[in-house]
Amino acid sequence: MIDSLFVLNATGKIIIEKHWRGLINRQLVEYFNDQFSKQSSPEDLLPIIPTPKYQLVHVYRSGLTFLSPVSNEVDALLVLEFLHRIVDILAEYFGELAELSIRDNFDIVYQLLEEMMDYGYPLTTEPNALKEMIVPPNIINKVISQVAGVTSVVQHVPNGSTISSFPWRKAGVKYTNNEIYFDVVEEIDAIVDSNGAIVSSEIHGLIQANCRLSGMPDLTLNFVNPRVLDDYSFHPCVRYNKFENERVLSFVPPDGHFKLMSYRVNLPHHQSLPLYVKPQIHIGNGGGKFDISISIRNTDGKPVENVLLVFPLAKSVSNVNATCNLGSYIFDPVTKSIRWNLGKIELKDRTPMLSGNFSSTEQTPESGHTITIDFLINMHAISGLKVDSLKIYNEAYKPYKGVRSMTKAGKFQIRT
Amino acid sequence: MSEYLSKAAAFAQNAAKLSKKVSEGIVENAREFGLEATSSGHYFDTSEEKMRDIKRQLDSRHDREKMDGLKRLIAMISKGRDVSEFFPDVVKNVASQNLEIRKLVYIYLLRYAEQEPDLALLSINTFQRDLTDQNQLIRAMALRVMSGIRVPVISPIVLLAIKKCMTDLSAYVRKTAAHAIPKCYSLDPSQKDALVDVITTLLNDNSPFTIGSVITAFNEVCPDRLDLIHLHYRKLCRMLIDADEWGQIAIMGLLLRYARTQFLNPNPDNNRVSQKKKSKAFYSDEDSDDSDNSLDNSYALDPDHEQLLRDSLPLLQSRNSAVVLSVAKIFYHLAPTADAYKISKPLIRLLHSHREIQYVVLANIATMATQRPYLFEPHLQQFFVRSTDAVFIRNLKMEIMTLVATESNITGILRELQVYPNKDFATSAIRAIGRCAIGMPDMAESCLNGLMKLLWSKNDAVVAESVVVIKRLLQLRPKDNADMIIQLAKALDHITVPMARASIFWLVGQYSQNLEKVAPDILRKAAKTFTAEADVVKLQIINLGAKLLSLHSTDHTLNLLFQYVLNLARYDLNYDIRDRARLLRGLILINEKKDTHMNNMGVEGVEEVMRSEESSKSTILMNNLKRILLCEKEAPSEESPSVGRDRFIIGSMSLVLNYSVPGYKSLPDWPTKKPDGSVRDNLDDTWNRNQYIKGFGSDSFGQFVPSSTYDKLPVKQRNETYDSENFYDFYESSDDNKNHDEKTEESSEAETSEEE
Repeated sequence: MIDSLFVLNATGKIIIEKHWRGLINRQLVEYFNDQFSKQSSPEDLLPIIPTPKYQLVHVYRSGLTFLSPVSNEVDALLVLEFLHRIVDILAEYFGELAELSIRDNFDIVYQLLEEMMDYGYPLTTEPNALKEMIVPPNIINKVISQVAGVTSVVQHVPNGSTISSFPWRKAGVKYTNNEIYFDVVEEIDAIVDSNGAIVSSEIHGLIQANCRLSGMPDLTLNFVNPRVLDDYSFHPCVRYNKFENERVLSFVPPDGHFKLMSYRVNLPHHQSLPLYVKPQIHIGNGGGKFDISISIRNTDGKPVENVLLVFPLAKSVSNVNATCNLGSYIFDPVTKSIRWNLGKIELKDRTPMLSGNFSSTEQTPESGHTITIDFLINMHAISGLKVDSLKIYNEAYKPYKGVRSMTKAGKFQIRT
Repeated sequence: MSEYLSKAAAFAQNAAKLSKKVSEGIVENAREFGLEATSSGHYFDTSEEKMRDIKRQLDSRHDREKMDGLKRLIAMISKGRDVSEFFPDVVKNVASQNLEIRKLVYIYLLRYAEQEPDLALLSINTFQRDLTDQNQLIRAMALRVMSGIRVPVISPIVLLAIKKCMTDLSAYVRKTAAHAIPKCYSLDPSQKDALVDVITTLLNDNSPFTIGSVITAFNEVCPDRLDLIHLHYRKLCRMLIDADEWGQIAIMGLLLRYARTQFLNPNPDNNRVSQKKKSKAFYSDEDSDDSDNSLDNSYALDPDHEQLLRDSLPLLQSRNSAVVLSVAKIFYHLAPTADAYKISKPLIRLLHSHREIQYVVLANIATMATQRPYLFEPHLQQFFVRSTDAVFIRNLKMEIMTLVATESNITGILRELQVYPNKDFATSAIRAIGRCAIGMPDMAESCLNGLMKLLWSKNDAVVAESVVVIKRLLQLRPKDNADMIIQLAKALDHITVPMARASIFWLVGQYSQNLEKVAPDILRKAAKTFTAEADVVKLQIINLGAKLLSLHSTDHTLNLLFQYVLNLARYDLNYDIRDRARLLRGLILINEKKDTHMNNMGVEGVEEVMRSEESSKSTILMNNLKRILLCEKEAPSEESPSVGRDRFIIGSMSLVLNYSVPGYKSLPDWPTKKPDGSVRDNLDDTWNRNQYIKGFGSDSFGQFVPSSTYDKLPVKQRNETYDSENFYDFYESSDDNKNHDEKTEESSEAETSEEE
């Protein structure tokens, strides 16, 4: 089981330490830092490092390392999943995860760790249940504590009598305006060959909900075309068997933000990607020429926004000279890559092009780097998944309902 | 704002400095200012005066002061400073009326109780009082903290508290009691018997909220008492879906071990070829998979065995990757092979998760693929490497690609792998191509051709690795490799990497019989550059010479050439090379008198003595020279890095690390004779479906509430029926019909088992 947790900042300094099964010497962290510094990139360090006594399991997110020494056999994923869950909860409590936010609220962090894990076994990990026991920091709390002056501490005694029968939902939620929003976010992961052929492509979708409903609503969400879903996973609140049998999502939602469902869709072969990148690169003597064009297809008439193309060049490249007909580009001399920021591409725009040449200190600079592109299409779900209706049972009010969809580039890579 | 903050902070600091000179009252005011402006940062101030201040704060009558002092202490703990000296002052506050203060005291207490056992005992009374509190959260917290104090003396008190709490009305308190069991066990292992009794009682608990923690305690305290599980097996299967995520993992871990001891192997004829064919048939009509039929027609499973598979299946849709992998573990180790395909898609889904989770999932997929590659073959594209993948991920991906390679997809894999050498992970890709070729001799030709092209790459590492892999492949087919070796020899002029050059010389020497014309010339060229070569290359050049000469012992030119090389080697800086030269000289040139005359006296003296002693043996050596130098060398077998992982249970830490982590228990073997299944018949206990609190995800819950039922209810009644406490009761009444059916089913089951 999980013995301890150390939270380390970017320089490897301990900012939080918590032991569930007796103390573990801090020297262990020094050993870890040694290993950490040996890697060229922090992301290349093996997630589980064996040492004679402990297995060092760690996750690296937002520049912070969450390190757990584990002495005995345990499911490896249980530890990793739990560490990620801690990070998620902290992010939810403090808005953003950063060294500063953790240091500012270290007392809350310790209280959370105390509630989330008991003797190395996960205890309460549902955000709703946690928030009932430990109040997240907010302006109002701070103001109250200031106003109350030096003599007293506002006491938050959770009302134990109304503990909810659903572990994920608070009891006694009340809103004056009842509303619920769904965000359907789809990410395209694709590898495209230099000649435009799709090597692999798939869509990972996520339905994110923001629920502000009073009482204990029981919701049923229908899709127009649930058949497109290839594989899916649900928040524990969703009734699995009901989906299996009737293809509807039936659930009593948690309060606040939560991930209702995530799914995977295999793009049919005939369907094209929303945009195509055509790179043409000629390596010459001591440099080379390049010509990159982007064409838009299949976006359902919607513009493509936040387009950013990153084109890495060989390490020996010293200078780049290029022109583009849309947006602007910069050459980053440290990473040796061209960042072409196109902003928004309207359908009626001319085909965006970036062409130019580069010089290199080497006779024939290395080629074959992978172009990555980032983009966003609002109000469009590439898989075609559509929400049909949302019904609410068990509560009398009529809530305001909203659905939004969005398609983003995930790991969208073009080989050259 | 920040300016204001810093100013205020500075002011606070100034005020603190003043504190030496002025009276207490002024300090209070100064801090008041400071507190209002700064954030928690000031808690990390460790100057000596601040430390002295903490003691005063802890003794203060004001909650806020205490709170401040405690926060400061905890900040010290974070900084790695030992603040155990404050223990007495902190313990005093354990009885504080303020819950916020108590929580912080607990954090401190749990950290230092081990070092101050006597003082920690002072707090016990407060906990015992809290155990009778009205609020279930307070009761639970008291038990949790008390059992967490690592002072062995209190173990009897903890045991008493556990016994008190295990009958608590609140499921949350009972859950905490279950969590306290392993803690109590570690404090005092002699309490084991009493704790097993507690676990036995708690196993009767019908709340899905509690059961996961009970099983966790079971797994830690008495994992071998599987006899306690018999009566609860069916209940555990049914409750699986309603337990919390972490509980599900523990329950599946237990049920896996239980099933391995109680049921028969579902794949009795463990013939892998037939399995492979069978499951391939599955893929062909994958679209029409009706999941439940397949369970029945493959093999007559015990109904309980089947129930476990059926009840764990929906959990493949869990958002928790550890749960999904646990189901995979159940299906991989317990299910008929024809059913195991159900786990592949969800596992692939996990690859979209965080890097670390991807790594573990890939390691497990690689392990499964060594035994059942067909599970992941349809998802080949998911294992294509992205340029942004971390090193450990791309290595595993390439390994999986080579493992799932078949005749039909190998061309695709090779095409994909051949893209990689342009990237910075070329070497591992080349090795993967090699593994493919070894695994599939039919494809070796195209692999070789692909690799030969890489010889002209500009990247030294790529060239070196390709030569090494080519060498390995050529060794596999000693008959017709002459053309390839000649091509390699041509590349010698531009290959500079020592290991690659050495490999080529070795190949030429080993197969010189097929290279009658070229080989001597290669030796000639090598002799010219000998002095400039690296040590490995020099050794192989000497070997090459020796091998050639053993084939053509009469060739005068060759003889001279070899002697020239040997003479160069004799004065080499590296003693290994000198030794090798001496050995081969003794072996090959020993009978040639010319040689001895030409040699210098120093070394030769020794040789002569040896020669006179062994001259009779030397002829035997001479005759067998060819067999000594050119014996058939076994081609090295390329093992995939995951070899050995398959001895571990899927999902375990040991599997990822490929060694046995302390506490790892291997899976019990299937029993050879079917154990009595009737032990699971739970007759006297009437827990069954009626009493068991229906959880949210259970079949009955979802299925038996047609949405129309809601609409028919008048609004008023609806509000009454659906308050959270009674939420489930309504459904139970509507379930009655179903329960009847199930009961009759069960009785018929019982009958059949009686007949047996």
